[in-house]
Amino acid sequence: MMKRPSPRPVLGLVGWITVALVCSACASSAATVAPERIRLPMGYIPNVQYAPFYVAVDRGYFLDEGIELEFDYAFETDGVALVGAGELPFSLASGEQVLLARAQGLPVTYFYAWWQDFPVAVAAPIESGIDTPQDLIGKSIGIPVLGGASFIGYQALMRAAGVSPDAASLEVIGYNQVEALLAGQTDAAVVYANNEPIQLEQLGMPVSVVRVADYVTLSSNGLITNEGTLQSDPELVRGMSRALSRGIDDVLADPDAAFEVCKRYIEGLGDGDPSVQRRVLDASIEFWRSERAGWSDPQAWENMQQVLLETELLKAPVDLARAYSNDYLP
Amino acid sequence: MAGLIAWEALVRLSGLPAFILPPPSVVGRRFLELAGEGGLWRHTFVTLLEILAGLVVGVTIAFLLGYLVAKSPSLERILAPYIVASQSIPVVAIAPLMIIWFGAGTLSKVLISALIVFFPVLVNTVVGLRSVPADLHDLMRSLRATRWQTFTKLDVPASLPVMFGGLKIGATLAVIGAVVGEFVAADQGLGFLITLNRGLYDTAGVFVAVFLLIGLAMLMYSAVSFLERRMLGWRNRPEA
Repeated sequence: MMKRPSPRPVLGLVGWITVALVCSACASSAATVAPERIRLPMGYIPNVQYAPFYVAVDRGYFLDEGIELEFDYAFETDGVALVGAGELPFSLASGEQVLLARAQGLPVTYFYAWWQDFPVAVAAPIESGIDTPQDLIGKSIGIPVLGGASFIGYQALMRAAGVSPDAASLEVIGYNQVEALLAGQTDAAVVYANNEPIQLEQLGMPVSVVRVADYVTLSSNGLITNEGTLQSDPELVRGMSRALSRGIDDVLADPDAAFEVCKRYIEGLGDGDPSVQRRVLDASIEFWRSERAGWSDPQAWENMQQVLLETELLKAPVDLARAYSNDYLP
Repeated sequence: MAGLIAWEALVRLSGLPAFILPPPSVVGRRFLELAGEGGLWRHTFVTLLEILAGLVVGVTIAFLLGYLVAKSPSLERILAPYIVASQSIPVVAIAPLMIIWFGAGTLSKVLISALIVFFPVLVNTVVGLRSVPADLHDLMRSLRATRWQTFTKLDVPASLPVMFGGLKIGATLAVIGAVVGEFVAADQGLGFLITLNRGLYDTAGVFVAVFLLIGLAMLMYSAVSFLERRMLGWRNRPEA
């Protein structure tokens, strides 16, 4: 009869393994730092235009940098003010907002140029024959507000083309550019090149688009922080840059997969016909391509400052060296 | 005055930057700058005009409809759900649609203002007219008063105290209506000035516009109160 092996050595082995595992877990948890929770004001509603962020969060790129990102779809100006006040470390903002904020003493610094070109444009029905800024002379142009990126973009476009901005009559129409053009309320409208033209085409009104970016380079949407964060935690700033860069790279490499990720972050995107939003993504992607991820073109900042001074939105030049930086790129 | 001193002291002691909370001295300076540029009065006048027009339109419609509803219970049963429904729609939600329907000019702001004025005036009109004692109506009938005479000599004077309550609320709400319209789409007015200054991170400029709006609301309230005293002065006169 075979002797049954004593259970004691087996139990002992199991005990030691258990102790080793528990100790290893304890050591591991002591070494792992909980990710820093960061609320990021986005400036607009959930939209496919934020695909790089959705992808970067979805694939854990921000977590790799120790950042747990939380989207806050607040107004752009509120985000800038919160960062300037030191209440939040980061926000998304357009270049002109940074200069306007700095002029009022908000210590904000732009450190990652996500959009390489300014997306504002003037759209008009294709049969109107409006193809250049010169064609806008004497026309009525709908504009959302007399301020912000739309107004700056229009001013920059006309001035760059050597046409007085007053040569056309601006009509404030709120964010109703699509409705205004469809109803024929205005001859043209200031739009975002990656958005309203696609909606209008889908609704049966093909439009010609006069892009600001074809006439002048302006600093566009990107990540901002405050001087306090730059001094106290530059690695966190670089981590934001790295994570966003990886998100952009992934979207550029595989827009179809990125669009699928967007469906998890944008309510209703997966319902009905997603073709318009898919085209919005494709059009947006063209603004994100760059030779060096996140790099700010100094000329774009000079041009932006010049437009703001000429339109008297800035009373005096601000120190551009503190307004933006290329020192925190991946 | 004590409030202003406390505000100034709070900002100075806390060291808050002006873009978060400007002290009253900075707001005052900004007021003088903006007033000197001339545009401030134009913006104020535009908003005042929208408020007055909205009030006239809103009060007129509310009064006419209120009279019909007060006199006809069957009409009230038909209209009440629609009237209540119209008030359950947030003005900020419908304002962008009104801009699309009526354009971005003065008309849309006047209508938004009228919409917000309408309900309190209507309710007070109905309550006021129904509070007229029935025996006074019997008296008018015994005197063979015409419908118009009953309306002008009894219904209106007797219900005015209650109606003025609605008018006071409506006069201050009209300010909100005009500003909501200006927030959505405008190139002039105090609401536009607030939007513009927010975009420029000029918090002191925002305060200037907000204080002017408060001033307009107080002016409207005072004007209605003055009218009330003039029209209802007989109530306080000692009986002969």
